[in-house]
Amino acid sequence: MTDDVKITNRGWESQDHASEMKSELLELNMGPQHPATHGVLRLLLQTDGEIVYKVTPVVGYLHRCTEKIAEGVDYKQWIVYTDRFDYLAPVTNNHAYVTAVEKLADLAVPERAEHLRIVTAELSRIASHLIALATFGLDMGAWTPLLYCFREREEILNLLERIAGGRMLYNYMVPGGVRYDVPKDNWVADVLEFVTMLENKKLPDYNTLLTYNKIFIERTSDVGIISKETAFDYGCTGPVLRGSGVKFDCRRDDPYSLYDRFDFEIPVGMGEMGTVGDCWDRYIVRVREIEQSCRIIRQALETLPEGPYGTLELKKPVKVPAGAAYSRTEAAKGEMGHYIIADGGAKPFRNKVRSCSFCNLQVVEKVGVGLMVSDLVALVGSLDIVLGEIDR
Amino acid sequence: MEPKAIFDLLVEHLGEGSAEFREHDIEPWACVSAARIADAGTFLRDDPRLEFNQLMCLSGIDWDGLDENGKGKSTAILGYTGDGVPEDSDRIAEGDFGVAYHLYSHTQRHKFTLRVRVKRDVAAVPTVSGVWSTASWHEREAWDLVGIRFADHPDLRRMLLSEDWEGHPLRKDYRMPDQWSGVPLKGQPYSENPFTPDAPAADAPAGDDTPAEG
Amino acid sequence: MSPTTPNPPEGYDVSRENMLDFKVDDQLLEVVETDAKNFILTTVDEVFNWARLSSIWPVTFGLACCAIEMMATSATRYDIDRFGAGAFRATPRQADLMIVSGTVTAKMAKRLKLIYDQMPEPKWVIAMGSCAIGGGPYFKYGYHVVKGVDFIVPVDVYVPGCPPRPEVLLEGLMRLQDKIRGRKGKFRAPKWVTDYAKKIPYRK
Repeated sequence: MTDDVKITNRGWESQDHASEMKSELLELNMGPQHPATHGVLRLLLQTDGEIVYKVTPVVGYLHRCTEKIAEGVDYKQWIVYTDRFDYLAPVTNNHAYVTAVEKLADLAVPERAEHLRIVTAELSRIASHLIALATFGLDMGAWTPLLYCFREREEILNLLERIAGGRMLYNYMVPGGVRYDVPKDNWVADVLEFVTMLENKKLPDYNTLLTYNKIFIERTSDVGIISKETAFDYGCTGPVLRGSGVKFDCRRDDPYSLYDRFDFEIPVGMGEMGTVGDCWDRYIVRVREIEQSCRIIRQALETLPEGPYGTLELKKPVKVPAGAAYSRTEAAKGEMGHYIIADGGAKPFRNKVRSCSFCNLQVVEKVGVGLMVSDLVALVGSLDIVLGEIDR
Repeated sequence: MEPKAIFDLLVEHLGEGSAEFREHDIEPWACVSAARIADAGTFLRDDPRLEFNQLMCLSGIDWDGLDENGKGKSTAILGYTGDGVPEDSDRIAEGDFGVAYHLYSHTQRHKFTLRVRVKRDVAAVPTVSGVWSTASWHEREAWDLVGIRFADHPDLRRMLLSEDWEGHPLRKDYRMPDQWSGVPLKGQPYSENPFTPDAPAADAPAGDDTPAEG
Repeated sequence: MSPTTPNPPEGYDVSRENMLDFKVDDQLLEVVETDAKNFILTTVDEVFNWARLSSIWPVTFGLACCAIEMMATSATRYDIDRFGAGAFRATPRQADLMIVSGTVTAKMAKRLKLIYDQMPEPKWVIAMGSCAIGGGPYFKYGYHVVKGVDFIVPVDVYVPGCPPRPEVLLEGLMRLQDKIRGRKGKFRAPKWVTDYAKKIPYRK
């Protein structure tokens, strides 16, 4: 009798049994058509039960040949395609590209245009972060925040439509200025009103709904921790880098446009709910960045100078001398870089786009190992990737 | 630290003659011989005065028609015609391949640009994915689109296109494909398009051309 | 209503029935009144089609930029649920509508065909956005872009725009519902739209 008990107690932990039992890794294919991969991302997983043993992202399902197109169309025509990289925050992409062209062509931009650029880019950043909160909540099983976030996003789209003419993709900036001036129908006051409402009423709503929700915190804290060194090594930028506790923002540390004139803070992850660099930290950085964007918008609009909103005629092609320049800006998802090689002609010779999500996604190869499959969804959701930017 | 000072430190490490400095460009950059690039990268990352801990960008370039200063005349690339047929040409691109590395130091807050250049028939550069992990995907992309092999890369597969894709699209003499693996990539000729402006106007009287089906 | 959308001028009838060549509900049911009780005469086909068009279940299949507009259509302001098409299914086996929302690339085209084949009959396809219709801005140098999803799967309704506004997607959905209803007839643009369109100069 005692012998029998002994044998059953040995059970799973016995060395002999483990060697007799054959276990092998399960290959699991996630995507490209999957509700939690934010587009057409495909993840090849090797799982040991519920634990991810190896994760290999497969991208390219939305490769739209944009860098080839850049060599075939002239500098201004290509602005349209920059909108379609990060289609959640198109104006920040425009900003990245026109900054690079202006650096090459040595173009001056009027102050009013710079202010308008900053206002629209920050509005766009808020819209993108709202989607990030919404879809992250959706991945974590919360449907309601999506409805709230889309409500406010529609307001932003309306404001941007009034100044730029498009609903979602604007083609708003041109080298040397912006395409349209402020509309005459009280636009500035409406933006200020929206910003105040967002800060005072809506953000507390989101915080109550999602940020400090017990279930949400349990799902995201201490999950998918990206350390500072890993973030540097894998080239992470934007909220992913700041979520790891690095106080770096191109807008302050490598200033472009007029961002050095405005007073704003850089929120970083502090490990309030767990460890520094977990999914919750990356989430809260986005929420706090919305507040800071509101501050920037208010300052930029209150000091909006009079004057022209563009230097070049819209129909004339921009003249770029031969040379090469890399310029980077802080887009909604991270650092958006353009490396343009010009040969002095009407078209760029080579235009390499360093997109933020492309580098941010790569980190799942390292951090995703050892997570549960459901936590991998949290990790990918907290990186806030956009496939249009990864595949280009 | 200024680019020139960074370059002096780099030359001190690599030895005279292995790198050149170009200051006259919009962005100053250093040209390193391809064989020493991994060595240079390791030095730039590990030296306490430099500490380039982030690779911002890695770009593969087909320098067809342009010399190393970017002067020269480039030829128009090939595309599809208005009828969706690939344009054809006998031209074969010449000239070298290049790789550009843009580095940033988060501790010292300075930037630096490195470039290498290899002959077209060699088209191979040592990998720097051991130095910065992010280079792995960038190099896979450069191999995929430009066709530069990265020696000793741990996993040099195509990044964006499929493994059985023919050619490297960002080469200047790349010809657009008709189809890939059964998927048609040609366009529809304009004359066969039912939505041309010559088609009946929208306010024409209603016809029975919409099939009735369940 | 967005301020940039042109409002129809005075004197034009903009009711939905006026845009169509048929009345919406006249053929579905015939209510026959008798002395005893009301009863309904119809065909099985009519009832089936009515049921199908009233609860179209799209497959969750976002490709690119248009997918965000598709999400916006299903979210707060536009609320595609009003038309019975709000139940986005994560698996194609439960869906009967595929909204191809975005650029179809060569790599994705095979997946798209697979997903389409997995959907049970009857099934419909909406090509949303100019990329899905004909390659859109990626036509000229798009070596990896399929120039129109109708090379891959049959398309029922084309919704133009880059990306289309949610209103346009909803209109496309209603056109699809008309098609499912099995009515003959053709969409006729309202007169104020055609009047406006005549003023736009076309470049050949």
